[in-house]
Amino acid sequence: MKRLVLLAALLAPALALGADKVTLKMGDNYPDRTNTWGAVIETINAEFKAANPGIEIVTESYPDQPYQEKIKIYATARQLPDVFKYWSFSTLLKPLVDGKFVVPLDRPAFEKLGYLPGALDSNVYGGKLYGIPVSADLWVIYYNKKLFQEAGVTKLPTTFEELKALVPKFKAKGIIPMTTDGKDAWPLCITFDQLAWRLSGDPTLPQKALDRKIKFTDPVFVKAATLLQDMVKSGLFQEDVMVSDYGASRNLFGQGKAAMYLMGSWELGLSSDQSFSQEFRDNVDAFKFPTVAGGKGGPEDLMAWYGGNYVVSASSKHTGLGMKYLEFYAKRFPVLAWEKKATFPAQKVDAQPSDAPVAKSLLKIAAEAKATSGTPTLDRATPAFKEDMQNAVRELCSSIITPEEFTKKIDAAAAKAAKK
Amino acid sequence: MRGPFQHRGVVASLVVPSIAVMVFAMLVPLGFSVYYSFTDWAGFGEYRQVGLANYWDIVRLEYVDGELVANDPVFWRSLWNTLLLMVATILIQNPVAFALAAILAHVSKKLSRVLRTIYFVPAVLSLVIVARMWVSIFNPTYGVLNKLLRAVGLDGLATSWLSNPDTAIWAVIWIIVWQGFGWALLFYYAGLMTVPKEIEEAARVDGASWFQTYWHVIVPYLRPAIAAVIVIDVISSMKQMELIYLSTNGGPGTLTQFVSVYLYQKAFASSEYGYGNALSVLFVVLSVGLTLLVLRVMRAMPRQEGEG
Repeated sequence: MKRLVLLAALLAPALALGADKVTLKMGDNYPDRTNTWGAVIETINAEFKAANPGIEIVTESYPDQPYQEKIKIYATARQLPDVFKYWSFSTLLKPLVDGKFVVPLDRPAFEKLGYLPGALDSNVYGGKLYGIPVSADLWVIYYNKKLFQEAGVTKLPTTFEELKALVPKFKAKGIIPMTTDGKDAWPLCITFDQLAWRLSGDPTLPQKALDRKIKFTDPVFVKAATLLQDMVKSGLFQEDVMVSDYGASRNLFGQGKAAMYLMGSWELGLSSDQSFSQEFRDNVDAFKFPTVAGGKGGPEDLMAWYGGNYVVSASSKHTGLGMKYLEFYAKRFPVLAWEKKATFPAQKVDAQPSDAPVAKSLLKIAAEAKATSGTPTLDRATPAFKEDMQNAVRELCSSIITPEEFTKKIDAAAAKAAKK
Repeated sequence: MRGPFQHRGVVASLVVPSIAVMVFAMLVPLGFSVYYSFTDWAGFGEYRQVGLANYWDIVRLEYVDGELVANDPVFWRSLWNTLLLMVATILIQNPVAFALAAILAHVSKKLSRVLRTIYFVPAVLSLVIVARMWVSIFNPTYGVLNKLLRAVGLDGLATSWLSNPDTAIWAVIWIIVWQGFGWALLFYYAGLMTVPKEIEEAARVDGASWFQTYWHVIVPYLRPAIAAVIVIDVISSMKQMELIYLSTNGGPGTLTQFVSVYLYQKAFASSEYGYGNALSVLFVVLSVGLTLLVLRVMRAMPRQEGEG
């Protein structure tokens, strides 16, 4: 009995303390909390906690793909974090909307916050806004000016053929011409879209194929697949591109082993990432994906979409607080993200004279765009289609299947997805 | 006088916890898996009953343009890879582990202890560390292996081990065999320590060479240990998941796909939770069947004179 009293005496203050503390659970895909995007989130969290005393924030972070899987597992187990980073796509957000896992947001409250045209619309399902877009994603090629000089390359490649002609020049200096994340395959899927658009001049073809109005086995897609396979075969990428994950391929570029990096504008933070050398940060810049000889698409046709977003869990005990956090985030993020050069925000930002060259280039590429693609093909249908397309791209780029077989595979996957 | 174990209540209170753990940690989840395998559930949201459709989609073979093709070639590929891994562990890892254990049994106690510790290190390392280490060793740019090959003039052999379609599966199998090697060695070493010295000496006196002694006397004596190791090999090959997930994740393409990684990807990456569950149920049936078969074969093997 005495012991019980003692236990109660020990527990009481702890319980009392716990009572007026609200813990907001969060999730995102930025394990690095001291650099770029992760650091921006930590700043926002600190400011939010200061403005709302008595709130604790606990964040779980994993790299991209494991994070997406983790969120799906949490959804299955009904243990989603209160507020979390996700993606607007029909492959990712739509299943959560359909299952009523996320709450609709107050659109007018966000409309005032300077979102780029179409940004909020990308997060609308059934007429309701379910997420706030955080980044505008442009598909570009980053490059290291110093390595270009070392290899004697004075002109940026504007055509696919010029790009391929750089391979021997870099290889002669022991420099990897280009790196990307092949293991996760989605960068190659986006590049496939880009090539098909450069060839056809028509960004609507993939959607038409998904709607079964045309077929993925049409010659233009076969040609695009041939070019994509050729990029790998010609030695443009690092040797083990098909098993290099996001971090590994990014590090090859950041550590000055590779001259170019095929990735989206969210990597703007390369120019401020303290884990890379000052020399690298000073030399990183970006250029447009080159055109293809005989293709109908121009260099101003830009693969661009609004992917990353933030959502509030419907099973959260603090949905009100979660929405309050999103509003706070929406106000602070574009300013801080641009200041730290963490990413290219989905909201208007003011160019500053102090902007790094890569930031200026990305702003210029965005401003010069004559047409934008919207969501990449792989994220336009079902999660199963996405996985099938990624697997097919992996096989294509490992030269296990031919471009014809590749287009047959994704056509079959599209047919399957259309039935659902 | 009645001891405490004659009392039903006592016996029940001792048995119930472990049975409860069995039921709630294994049978209930398995039951859920079977249930969901008959649905098209995505992991969340609405779902429909689809009967045996998932199973039929997994195993179905069709004639397309006069050619027999699998509806789900990845499943068959992963089964094939599992079989390859099993054969490699049994035929490569086992004999090497046995030979090393035999050597360890004959060197000085001190040296044996040091070597045993070294050989066992891979087995106690975290799988993440093992996977990351081999991924960097096999890395075509930074990797030690390619650097070594180039240093001795074998440039032609240097390749991108984990992404070259010709070498990937063998590189993955190598990692798994390397990691599991310590256990086999431990079992065999422990077994060899139990071999009575008299048997060995008797064989020697009869004029048997060391090879004959091992082949005709010691190996048969250790049959139970060998059987145990083989059963463990079969089971661990079947359920191998982490090292593949961490090294190639089934790539390049689906060439190094194994069933347990595949069912995870189906359930959580493709959001085909029902299909993933059907794969897992099918796989449980296959694994149990194969394990029983191996045990049967082991039991049916000719017994030594004087044994049992």
